[in-house]
Parts: sequence; structure tokens; C-alpha cells
Amino acid sequence: MVFSLDLITGLLSFLFTLMVLSYLIGDNPLFKIAVYLFVGVSSGYAIAIIFWQVLFAKLLLPTITVLQTGAYDVGMIRLVVPWLGLFFILMKASPRFAGASRMVMAFLVGAGAAVTLVGTLTGTLLPQIAATINAFDLDVAQARNIKVSEVLGSGAVILIGVVTSLAYFHFGARRQQDGTIHRLGFIEVAAWVGQFFIGIALGVIFSGVFASALTTLLERAFSIVQFINTLIGVP
Amino acid sequence: MRVVSAVIAIAVGLLVLLGYFLPVAVPVQTILLEWAVILVAVAAVVGVINLATVHADKVRRRAKDGIYSAMLIMGMIVAAGLGLAFKPQNSFMQAIFLNGIIIPVEASLLALLTVTLLYTAIRLLRRRADAMSITFIVTASLIFFASATLPFGDMPILGTLIRPWVSQILALGGVRGILIGVSLGTLLTGLRVLFGIDRPYGGK
Repeated sequence: MVFSLDLITGLLSFLFTLMVLSYLIGDNPLFKIAVYLFVGVSSGYAIAIIFWQVLFAKLLLPTITVLQTGAYDVGMIRLVVPWLGLFFILMKASPRFAGASRMVMAFLVGAGAAVTLVGTLTGTLLPQIAATINAFDLDVAQARNIKVSEVLGSGAVILIGVVTSLAYFHFGARRQQDGTIHRLGFIEVAAWVGQFFIGIALGVIFSGVFASALTTLLERAFSIVQFINTLIGVP
Repeated sequence: MRVVSAVIAIAVGLLVLLGYFLPVAVPVQTILLEWAVILVAVAAVVGVINLATVHADKVRRRAKDGIYSAMLIMGMIVAAGLGLAFKPQNSFMQAIFLNGIIIPVEASLLALLTVTLLYTAIRLLRRRADAMSITFIVTASLIFFASATLPFGDMPILGTLIRPWVSQILALGGVRGILIGVSLGTLLTGLRVLFGIDRPYGGK
């Protein structure tokens, strides 16, 4: 038998699949070995990717180039901050100097907050609001040859779903005269309706995830059978 | 130090934000984001080193499950060592680590989810049989069975009429409500960080 790289890959894949699926009979050492090795190998692989794709390409290589060419003016200024940041992050190891790493974290949190803010606004909030409004677009209905009543009905149901689902997560409440704390009456009603829309939405998502997991289970089972067939020479 | 951190967070946040609205500020924004990418990478490496330290400590203390921690560290050292030496795109690295271990384990864990999800769904009805749980289970079952393709095509009425209406109209309303709620929350959290009200980097 020739030990090709493909055979080794197939053997590893077969063994690890069996080890993980052994969890179906209960938590056992084989499952733990597979999962711990997976975490170790994944994090090691991640280190290699981070080094070659970010640290080497964006930090080490430009620094070497600056040092070789002697263009210290512009190039070095752009590289000083990351090198300082790297130094400050490593100082986290010492409890005495851990405060320095807080500045780097503040830098990352500030940049992350700004990017997230704009991303959320332009990528989710505005498009979702626009799509809810566009559900009532009669021109689109005419172009797609759909009845006006159907478009308005669907749009209304979607709008009710959006408003009532949002109301479900509204937790502002007022103290009543009898001392109990309740939400406003119309919000209470909207939240009651909203729970059905949220239940339906989560049910549809659950069904999709379950179908994907089932498909993967079948694919894994097929890969096991296929590997055994390859080993014993069944076409 | 706390004040300096807050000033850095607010200044960097505002400069990055300005880059989205003023073309003049784009070069500054690009440099800041480039620095952020490098620093996130460094932070990720520090995180992995921390993981290794925690497990090395378990091995040193001869703690229960220490043998698995030793395997984790060995796997990490071998994958990182070979990855740094040959680059992750190397065909050997791809064959052994990516296609031999990482992808099969990820796929098998997803496959295990089949059983876990089914078990959880059954438990949900036993633990909390309220209106939302019942709606959730009924919808999930309906969509799952209605998605089945029969030899002659989609399931009549259930697959052709009810499923599209439930998933494209009713569920859309709920999902859109959840998405808008999440984005409003994210927006508020981002603004609180930019105004210095929340300081998750360690300030008070």
C-alpha cells in the first residue's frame, strides 16, 4: 500500500470523525482527545496565519524595508505606534505594568466602536427600515404582476411583526397606584403579539440550523463509509 | 492612566468616525485602522499564549484532565511551529491540519448538534410550555417537514403555500424586529463608548 498524503488526510479525517461522534454514546476520553487536540491545532494554525498574513506582512516586512532603505521619516512614524502597542500589550504579563496595556485596549475599543457604529447604521439599521417601508412599494408589485391587496397585506403583517417584536424587548415600566410595576397597556398588548412573531422567527432559524446539522451528519457518515470502501478496495 | 485611556478611546473613535463623513479624514482613518488590525493580531497571539499558559499550569499541577491539556499544548506547538516554518498555505499543512483535523472535527461537532438540538427542543416543551415555546416548536416542525422534497416535487399546500408564507412574511417580521433591536442596542453601546460613559478597557 502506498502511503500518499491523501491517504493520511483521509485516515486522520476518519479517526477524528469517529472520535467526535463517539460522544453520542456519552462523554468519553476519545471525544476529549479529539476536542483538546482540535483546540490546540486550531490555535497553533491561527498563530501561523496571524504571523504570516498580518504581523509579517504589515509590521515586520515594512520595518525591515525601512531599515534597509533608510527612509526613517514617514515609514518609521507609521510603524512606531504598532511596535509601541506590541510592547505595551506584552507588558500585560507583569501586574505592575499592566496599566500600559489598557491604552492599547482603549485604542482598539475606540476604533472598534466607531467601525461598529457606522457598520450597524449603514449595514443593518437603515437597510432593514428601508426594506420594511419598501414592502409597501406598489411599483414593485406592478412590475412583478402581484395584486395590490396582496402587497399591502404582506407589508402590513411584516410591519406589525417588526413593531410588536421591538415592543417585546421594551422593558420600561411604571409604578401603578396599587404599587405594582407594569408596562403601558398598549405596549403590553404589542409585546404579547410580538412573542408569536419572535417564536415563529426563531422556529424558522432553528429549522434551518437543524437541517444543516442533519445534512452534515449524513455527509460525515458517508465519508466514513467511503473511507472504509477505499481501504478495502470497493469501488 | 485611566484618563489617558479614555482620551485615547474617544479621540481614536472620533477620528475613525470622521473618516466616514469627511474625505479629508480618510488617510488618518486608514492609518488608525491599519494599526488596529496589527494590534488585534498581537492581542490574539497573546490570547493564544495565555491559553497555553493556563493548560501548561494544569499539566504542572498534575490536575485532573492534565493529560488532555498536554495534548492541546503539543498540538499547538506542532501546528504553530510547522505553520511558521512552511506557511499555512503549504499543501502539507493544508492536508494534515486543515483537511485532516480542523475541518472534520468542526463538521463532526456540527453533526453532533443534530442530536443536541433535538434533545433541547424536547426538553423545552417539558420545562417551559408557554405560548412562545409552543409557537417555536410548531413553526420549527412545520418548516422542517414542509421543506422535504417528495418524488413529485414540493409537498402540496404545506410546502408550496404555508411554508413560503410563514418563512417570508411572518418570520421576516420577527427577524427584522430582532435585527433592528440588536442594531439599536449596538448603536447605543458604540455611542456610550465614544462619549466615554462606558469604558470596557478598564477605566471607571
